[in-house]
Amino acid sequence: MRPGRPAKLPVFSKDALRFASFAAIMAYQLYRNTTLGNSLQESLDELIQSQQITPQLALQVLLQFDKAINTALANRVRNRVNFRGSLNTYRFCDNVWTFVLNDVEFREVTDLVKVDKVKIVACDGKNTGSNAAE
Amino acid sequence: MLSNSNTVSKLYMSVIDDVIESVRELFQDEGIEDRVLEDLRQLWESKVMQSKAVEGFMKGPINPNNFVLQLPANYAQTLHKPTASIVIPAGQTLQNFTTKANGSGALATFSLPPGVSYPVQIPAGVTLQTSSGHLYKVNVPVMVTQAPASNRILPQPIQHVMEPREQVAPQGAVASVAPTAVLQTIPPPAADTYTPAAPSTTLLHPSEPQPVPHQQHLFLGQGGALQPPGALQPQLTLPAVPQPPPLPTPAPVTPDSPGDDEFTLDGIEFSPQPLDMSQPSPFAAQLSSGQACGGQLGAGREEVGQDGGGSLPVNAGEAKAQLVEPAKLEMDLMRDFNYNDLEALQQLDGACDSTSEEEAEEEEVEGGAGADEDEFLGMINAEALKALQEAEGSSEDDGSSSDSDALDDAVEEVEEDPLNSGDDVSEQDVPDLFDTDNVVVCQYDKIHRSKNRWKFYLKDGVMCFGGKDYVFSKAVGEAEW
Repeated sequence: MRPGRPAKLPVFSKDALRFASFAAIMAYQLYRNTTLGNSLQESLDELIQSQQITPQLALQVLLQFDKAINTALANRVRNRVNFRGSLNTYRFCDNVWTFVLNDVEFREVTDLVKVDKVKIVACDGKNTGSNAAE
Repeated sequence: MLSNSNTVSKLYMSVIDDVIESVRELFQDEGIEDRVLEDLRQLWESKVMQSKAVEGFMKGPINPNNFVLQLPANYAQTLHKPTASIVIPAGQTLQNFTTKANGSGALATFSLPPGVSYPVQIPAGVTLQTSSGHLYKVNVPVMVTQAPASNRILPQPIQHVMEPREQVAPQGAVASVAPTAVLQTIPPPAADTYTPAAPSTTLLHPSEPQPVPHQQHLFLGQGGALQPPGALQPQLTLPAVPQPPPLPTPAPVTPDSPGDDEFTLDGIEFSPQPLDMSQPSPFAAQLSSGQACGGQLGAGREEVGQDGGGSLPVNAGEAKAQLVEPAKLEMDLMRDFNYNDLEALQQLDGACDSTSEEEAEEEEVEGGAGADEDEFLGMINAEALKALQEAEGSSEDDGSSSDSDALDDAVEEVEEDPLNSGDDVSEQDVPDLFDTDNVVVCQYDKIHRSKNRWKFYLKDGVMCFGGKDYVFSKAVGEAEW
């Protein structure tokens, strides 16, 4: 580089930059089917219905939600649960495990929850960075 | 579970905060106002709060009975419609029915200037806000007209919506939305609080018969109760039908047949729970009673109301209850019921190939006719089902006439799902099995199996048991298959 001459940087359009920043990391969309995720989707749907936002924007919000919930669960939750039950069905497809258990007890240090039927949906957790030592 | 619910509350709040903040810039880039973002946050929070998955979301007293009409900031006289005799401009102050101090900051309330007459047009986009800050949005332009000494202002669907709203509020009909409140309070400007107690005075003031246009309906859009383009948010509460007397004069636009009601009901979509109505069951009960009250539409309507009452509580209990659909289902069932009855009659009269099985089926169908809707369904399911099967078999064998075929097809369509499921012996099967309220959504570190003993090593999960939420960072489990 010659002295006195600023380096020329490639110029990206604002949209391209935004796209890049959001596309950089995709987080599991797994958590959209939770109370929090569903209520967000419903709220976004209402806003779309009333045409206050575009569906595209709603999608962006959901992507942001995915990141936020994944990060929050990985970093802000630190508790451990044990459970025991009987396995009714198991399914492994596209690297997603789905189990249905019966008569399950979920035990935390403080308390115990019993349910007669529970469905567990689990995505592959390797390499998602929340393997802090307990 | 106190500690856990607290943890979960905080976690959810932090996630909400994070998301809202991180999309703020997105919203701004799109040129969308912050108000919309705040709306999103309010909607989201209220839904989470309602789902009861978490406690501790309370941001202030919820006062469902106080409604104040809040106009959007940019609301101008853009909604002038030819039929509206008055357009509500921003800045006018409406009778404020709130008995509590408005805690949500600056609210543009508006009132009808004294002497203004109906009809009043509430355009789409108007937000109704309670004093506690909950938002109710009108998505479809509505025009509120006053019917002298009559109680029907709304088309049926809105009635349905409104009534529960009204009655959920402790003070009864106060819950009626500001616009209707508008209607009502034109007379006494001095009245600060709206007393819904007086049943007949709910929003129509008989003492002040306005020169009403003969419409005694609340129109959706212009065309009268047809399917509005957008979903009418149920929060638009309109004077409900607790009013007993039917319209003195039949309004020109009155839907005359139950079919219309069904039609309009079909067209209206209820959004998931209104923001601060946190009692689904009374809501449903009100809805049904409201439906029953709105008997102007005739018997068919009332039946629907009754049926809606029967089935709605179940549906309304769900967080995502789509109220219209149960009502619509009920109506569909009603239709089918009527249709079956009709066909059965036809069969009795002249079916040339009516076999004993068919006759038996018809008898059973007719026997069920007198019962309640639910019972009838039960009967259809249990008894007519078998008879149907036999009828189908026999009709096929006979090379039956088109009549019986039509009957069979019609009944068969109704019965198809129960029919098929009745055949199943081992019904504890895939479709139902994977449908449960208790869900754990997580990631797996390791899944291990040894013979029939499974071990699960899970992490970062959100659990929901019976509506209540829990989270974990690690979960270890065992099960035998």
